[in-house]
Amino acid sequence: MANVVGAAVCRTAADEGKPADWVPGGERQKVVDPMKMFHELPREMQFITGSEAARESMRRANIDIAIAYPITPQSESMQQAGYLYDEGYIKEYYRAEEEIGTFSAISGASRAGVRSLTATSGPGLMRGMEAISSWPGARTPIIMLNMCRVINTPLAIQPDNIEMSFMLNTGILMLHAENQQDFYDFPLAAICASEQVDVTLPAVVSVDGFFCTHARGPVMITPEEYKLPPRDGWRSAVPAMDNENPPARISRDAPIQKSNFISYHMHSSWQQEVFAAVQRSAKYFHAYLGGLVEVVNPGAEDFIVASGCAVSQAREAVRQEGEAGRKVGLVKIKTIRPFPTEDIYEALKGAKRILVPEFNQAGWLHKELCSVLYGRTKGVIKDGPRVYGGMTMPTEMILETLAEFRKEVK
Amino acid sequence: MSLETLRPSPAMQDFLPTEYKDLVEHGPYNNRNGKEHQTVKVTDMGKFKEVIEEHPMCAGCAMTLFIRLTYIGMPNPEHTIIVGTAGCGRLAISQASVPFIYGNYGDTNAVASGLKRGLEVRYPNQKKDVIVMAGDGGLIDIGFQGLMHSWFRHEKFTTIMLDNEVYGNTGGQESGMTNQGKVLKMAPRGKFGEKVDALGLAKVAGVDYIARLAPTNPSRVARTVRRAIMVAREVGSSYIQAYTSCNIEYSIPTPDVMKDAFEIEKERYGFEEIISPRAKEYLDEIEKKPKKKKSDK
Amino acid sequence: MIKQDNLILTRSDPSGQGGTQLIYRLKSYGLAAVSRPQEEISMIHWEVDIVKFSNENKASFEICHTTELANKTLKFYSDKSLNEFLEKAFPYLEELDSLEKMLPQEP
Repeated sequence: MANVVGAAVCRTAADEGKPADWVPGGERQKVVDPMKMFHELPREMQFITGSEAARESMRRANIDIAIAYPITPQSESMQQAGYLYDEGYIKEYYRAEEEIGTFSAISGASRAGVRSLTATSGPGLMRGMEAISSWPGARTPIIMLNMCRVINTPLAIQPDNIEMSFMLNTGILMLHAENQQDFYDFPLAAICASEQVDVTLPAVVSVDGFFCTHARGPVMITPEEYKLPPRDGWRSAVPAMDNENPPARISRDAPIQKSNFISYHMHSSWQQEVFAAVQRSAKYFHAYLGGLVEVVNPGAEDFIVASGCAVSQAREAVRQEGEAGRKVGLVKIKTIRPFPTEDIYEALKGAKRILVPEFNQAGWLHKELCSVLYGRTKGVIKDGPRVYGGMTMPTEMILETLAEFRKEVK
Repeated sequence: MSLETLRPSPAMQDFLPTEYKDLVEHGPYNNRNGKEHQTVKVTDMGKFKEVIEEHPMCAGCAMTLFIRLTYIGMPNPEHTIIVGTAGCGRLAISQASVPFIYGNYGDTNAVASGLKRGLEVRYPNQKKDVIVMAGDGGLIDIGFQGLMHSWFRHEKFTTIMLDNEVYGNTGGQESGMTNQGKVLKMAPRGKFGEKVDALGLAKVAGVDYIARLAPTNPSRVARTVRRAIMVAREVGSSYIQAYTSCNIEYSIPTPDVMKDAFEIEKERYGFEEIISPRAKEYLDEIEKKPKKKKSDK
Repeated sequence: MIKQDNLILTRSDPSGQGGTQLIYRLKSYGLAAVSRPQEEISMIHWEVDIVKFSNENKASFEICHTTELANKTLKFYSDKSLNEFLEKAFPYLEELDSLEKMLPQEP
């Protein structure tokens, strides 16, 4: 039979213009069980930038195809993806025409049943938003790295994570990395969760640009000779569009856009299933990341709830408060979607004051928190400090806001 | 998809829908005569089961005829995936027994780029044909950037433009492929610019096989589609621009649709093929083969 | 890898500008090394200050530009050069603390 399914690598040394004895990097790696990679393999500390952490993550992720369009501050990482392609760790790679093209192409690649990666930043994400918001409904596992950046006018290249708020209700799995370490671990976990049969959804790992991508931090990494198992295109809630199995009805049938009750029903049940799949992914993130949240100082009266870089600043505020003899709790939210409502509720049950510092104008995390805790907690939820447009959030700022909060809520 | 997979188990045959049985027993899925490609003939239309039959297109629509012929022209429908976008064509394309990706507005050539490359990674030993079939607006207006860049990158898939020279599905607005001066919705004083020279653009972009035709000669349509797909398989991008009139928005009486096609073909839509030297060399080679077989007999 | 001896705290730079701060302590003296984000990744470097701790237990300190080691913020463009400096600085700062303790204490 001519049909060879799931061959590991289709590129030969000659195809790639490499010497005859060239072996693609990926071929030299051993496949390891994800749980072993996340929890058992030995780790070595490296002091690297967030972009380099992303590269090392991609090297171990068994990526089949990477497509991206350059934008600051994402470019650094996707250039690195280019080098990984050249070294044979990624099998296919190209620079697309712009983000609508990028995110459409990556959805095509995912429909072929291969592991597909892209990356972007603020304005690029907004440009490709139509395509992005169609990924979950198309049930295309895709991993997107998002290096957060200002999107509003006046435009800037500085960190600001407001673009994340535009993805909250798309059905995408959303993780928010605090630091370089998370930007190494989260993509690997996101890939594994997104490709589970009962999930089959795209995932985005956001990180605050520059603060993390263009700065160095300690990262504990696993040996480079180990990689994740390849994507199995057959294990999927919706079949790959490879004409090897019956096409999924969403793609085969006439588009559900005519005005009749059957189309309404189909659309709503399909979307319900997408959002149910988001919830089902929680168990995988629990297993891979050891929880959807990290709680510091449980049982405290004062709590800071944050995601991304704001966690690092809050962590230092908590440490300084501890030095001053005051116990302040911290909830780090790792997964924005699925939103860990119950874990947060458990952590904040006894809290009197809940502070939500954010790097964006909208205060989307504060709003999320208020909406899920409404009527369930007696604690007062206060937004702030809130910085945006590239403004920094010194630890002192959090400490001052906390001091005011204590005066406001006795 | 392996044809073996599609063949129903003899024990189950009686319980399968007639349509399905016909497709396997009397359709392109099983009409091989020992060859790799499907061998059903356009001249036998009506005598075999087609991969597309029922559709909700308007009565007399020339586009539907063209789409039917395209499916007959496909060398291996069992290994083909169609990519489309909003527009009339997708109403018929989505009814065929070939997988169809209905993407976002104007995203066809980007989706096809990723899809084709992904399939090549996953199936290194099995050629999978990817075909974009979309309207003139979907390709030359909203999908322009993706179209051009897929050509610049020489992506190995076929693009077929169903050129009805109007936005038919949204109710008759002028498109980039509408002729200058034509009064249509959103062009109350007549279309401002000239009809976009998509063939010229394809030539500039280095597309290896370019063809323009009207569905006046069914066998030629099937042959052109087959040539375009074969070039995309082995050489580079291919493009077919087909005149598929909109009898509703252009007020062509249903019985006169083919008459119009012949007239427009004569006037400005004559059959034209632009083939790159490397594509020509390849086509010459594969089209020589049947002659050899004759001598074997 | 950067030297881990005498490292008492690794934290996100409290100024909020991103990057990582490492705090080394040798009795009452120490070093604060920070690596901040740069638009050009190749421009990422270390900025190192000698610091004097104000408290036995806490990581609170003041910048000290009056030692023979450094009278200003020092810049290092590689981990290797930072490590070389740390190696030189550790025994010096340890000795400095001991020497100071020998001086008569101000009332």
